[in-house]
Amino acid sequence: MHAPSTLQRPPAPRLIGRVNGRGLWTLYVKEVRRFLNVFTQTLLAPMITTLLFLAIFTLALGRSVQQVGGVGFAQFLAPGLIVMAMVQNAFANTSSSIVISKVQGNIVDLLMPPLSPWELTLGVAGGGVTRGLLVGFVVGLGMSLFVPLSIHAPLFVLYHAVNASLMLALLGMIGGIWAERFDHIAAVTNFVITPFSFLSGTFYSIERLPESWHFVALLNPFFYVIDGFRYGFIGHADGSLLVGVLLMAAVNLGLWTLAHRMIATGYRLKP
Amino acid sequence: MSGAAGPPAPRRFGAVNWRGLRTLVWRGVWRYFKMAWHTLGGPCISSLLLLAVFVLAAGGAGQMAPGIALAEFLVPGIVMFQLAHAAFENAAFPVLDDKLEGMIGDILAAPLSPLEILAGYVLPAVTSGLMTGMAILGLGWLFADLRLHDLGALMGFALAAALLFALLGTFIGLWADRWEHYAMAENFVILPLGFLSGTFFTLSSLPEAARPLIALNPVFHAVGGVRYALTGYAETALFPGALLLGGPILFLWFLVWRLFATGYKIKP
Repeated sequence: MHAPSTLQRPPAPRLIGRVNGRGLWTLYVKEVRRFLNVFTQTLLAPMITTLLFLAIFTLALGRSVQQVGGVGFAQFLAPGLIVMAMVQNAFANTSSSIVISKVQGNIVDLLMPPLSPWELTLGVAGGGVTRGLLVGFVVGLGMSLFVPLSIHAPLFVLYHAVNASLMLALLGMIGGIWAERFDHIAAVTNFVITPFSFLSGTFYSIERLPESWHFVALLNPFFYVIDGFRYGFIGHADGSLLVGVLLMAAVNLGLWTLAHRMIATGYRLKP
Repeated sequence: MSGAAGPPAPRRFGAVNWRGLRTLVWRGVWRYFKMAWHTLGGPCISSLLLLAVFVLAAGGAGQMAPGIALAEFLVPGIVMFQLAHAAFENAAFPVLDDKLEGMIGDILAAPLSPLEILAGYVLPAVTSGLMTGMAILGLGWLFADLRLHDLGALMGFALAAALLFALLGTFIGLWADRWEHYAMAENFVILPLGFLSGTFFTLSSLPEAARPLIALNPVFHAVGGVRYALTGYAETALFPGALLLGGPILFLWFLVWRLFATGYKIKP
């Protein structure tokens, strides 16, 4: 009756090094494929919407607003619109991924595998950053057909593109973990993300604001995102570039810590 | 005795099943109110944002056309844009949701004629569009110096735009097989129709070649009509515009009615 003792021994646990490279990569690829599958909605639609914004703004104001920040109105507008599309899509990617998983219950497939909290954070946020960067690229490509875009400082463009996408990808994760229904995250998008991305200098120079509002604008991280990214294209910034670079790094560090903490403690993720 | 044993007599309806129609319409309107946070709050916020960024971006240079300030020019446009969008959304979404969730069977099984089903989807969407438009007009009135010039034109053009987009939404809801199709129609048809319609710019700011094209867009005429009604400023004659709205409405009404009657994509 007794089976050979070798069969009774449980299988040895699989050894994973310091980093579960395969797991992390699988999660990242899953997050990227999730949006590439519906690329008409996730890449083409943002491009069309952004080009429509460019069209209506230049048609409506192109004649009366000749110069902003030392360049033509369209050149001023284009980088802001690109980065606006990037941040909105980075946020949409991570927030929808987590909320859908939570509502449908397949979030356990994320929590069960041998992935540490920081690997989960990196994998999901990486998907959002990739979506942001791809949207930025596609929108930029579309815009370059209509507006002469020249890059003044490529490193600034890259730094702000990556950090802006990361900031909103992390915010999307935090929002997605916090939200319990689709309504919650739609409300965050409608009442927080869209207003911030609209009112942070995409469409106008900060000098247009009443004097007393300058101070408020300078406290807004979104302002530095747009301002620094635009500086990379047109070589003119409204605020301080150094403050922007440091602030974005600090904000991202803070958001990363928060998202990591939420996943590690299982806030609204684990029963 | 023998009367009680027989089967119950079939319920009689007049020419129109009023109670059925009322139930269906109320279901749609109630859905709008239940989600007012999104169906009403979202458009209000985005309208105010659009208005704010336009006014800020224009700086002091705020005259769109002789004698009409930027905000006065924009508010009617934004109202109509949101009205059309809401009418579309509140028609396409319920139709597709009912279809994908299988609830459409409950409506097809009810003693409702195709025309009554059509009205049951279209009327709540029209109501939703008009309510959204009214709310935004109320908000816009706070920021723009609008004066009512022509109540008839205001109501007529608003109703026509709501009807047109509610019918369009019903059609898209019937045609779409997945949510992705709905999003495609919204992103690639409805938004361009709404944005490239003179909502935000004057006809004279367009290149010469694009002007006849935009005149084919029904939204352009709806926006023009309402802008005239609220500011007294008209870029084109109202009458041919009214025809360009009425023609597609009749055509779509007939088309969608036939689709419901033949059970296109809703009956096995």
